[in-house]
Amino acid sequence: MIKEVKLRSFRPNTLPHKFEAGTPAIAEAVGFGAAVDYLTQVGMKDIAAHEHEITEYALDRLEEIPGVKLFGPSADKKGGVAAFTLEGVHPHDVAQILDQDGIAVRAGHHCAQPLHEKFGIPATSRASFYLYSTKEEVDMLVKGLYKVKEMFG
Amino acid sequence: MDDLYREVIIEHYKNPSYRGKLDPHDISFADNNPLCGDHIQIDLRVDANGVVSEARFDGHGCAISQASADLLMETIIGKPLDEVKKLNKQDILEMLGIDLGPVRLKCALLSLKVLKAGVYGLGEAGDDLVE
Repeated sequence: MIKEVKLRSFRPNTLPHKFEAGTPAIAEAVGFGAAVDYLTQVGMKDIAAHEHEITEYALDRLEEIPGVKLFGPSADKKGGVAAFTLEGVHPHDVAQILDQDGIAVRAGHHCAQPLHEKFGIPATSRASFYLYSTKEEVDMLVKGLYKVKEMFG
Repeated sequence: MDDLYREVIIEHYKNPSYRGKLDPHDISFADNNPLCGDHIQIDLRVDANGVVSEARFDGHGCAISQASADLLMETIIGKPLDEVKKLNKQDILEMLGIDLGPVRLKCALLSLKVLKAGVYGLGEAGDDLVE
């Protein structure tokens, strides 16, 4: 907070007030309200069920691909994510090639560098799923990974 | 669509000609790309006239970083250090024959940064070396 504002200068308030921002997060609060309304309308249980179903489907499909190694627990013990490596191809290359077909996955340490070091891998690629993800999109991901394998084969 | 992964890049990644280490060497330097963990070490032998007579790289990382390192070694062998010092971002892009976004550009430039830091005898491979 400010103590005094002039046209060409200002004086901040004393501690700790000077570190308190002026305008509260009004837009964010309104947006949050709209998000809660939307999610309530869809139904949180339905969202969780869909997320679980699609993640389980993705993990099953990914596991079928020779050279793919999955990381993390089974679908019932985690959110909508599937972290994996593809043998012989760097996770960043995997992500880049998928991206060229419009499939967006993340590649990197996912804020867990020590864990990747423990596994002895440079990074993982990670697909994530939510309310709007479909099984057809998972199929596209699988198809994309076969293409990556072919390119680096 | 596969522009970024032209055959030449995949080929240099899978079957590099200059992967390895030189012992003895005149110049050796190594550094990482902190964002993705790519690692490159470069060893050089330089003759009495200041010309690079042998060059090898070692390390791990994505296809772009490893292929650009291999292509870079090929380019500098037989070149005087003065010319090596002049290599920049544009030379690497021409070597690879692709245009890269800002994130993957860092992968492509890692080997040149390491090379120049080694040639200049610097403590670390900064971004300013390749601009």
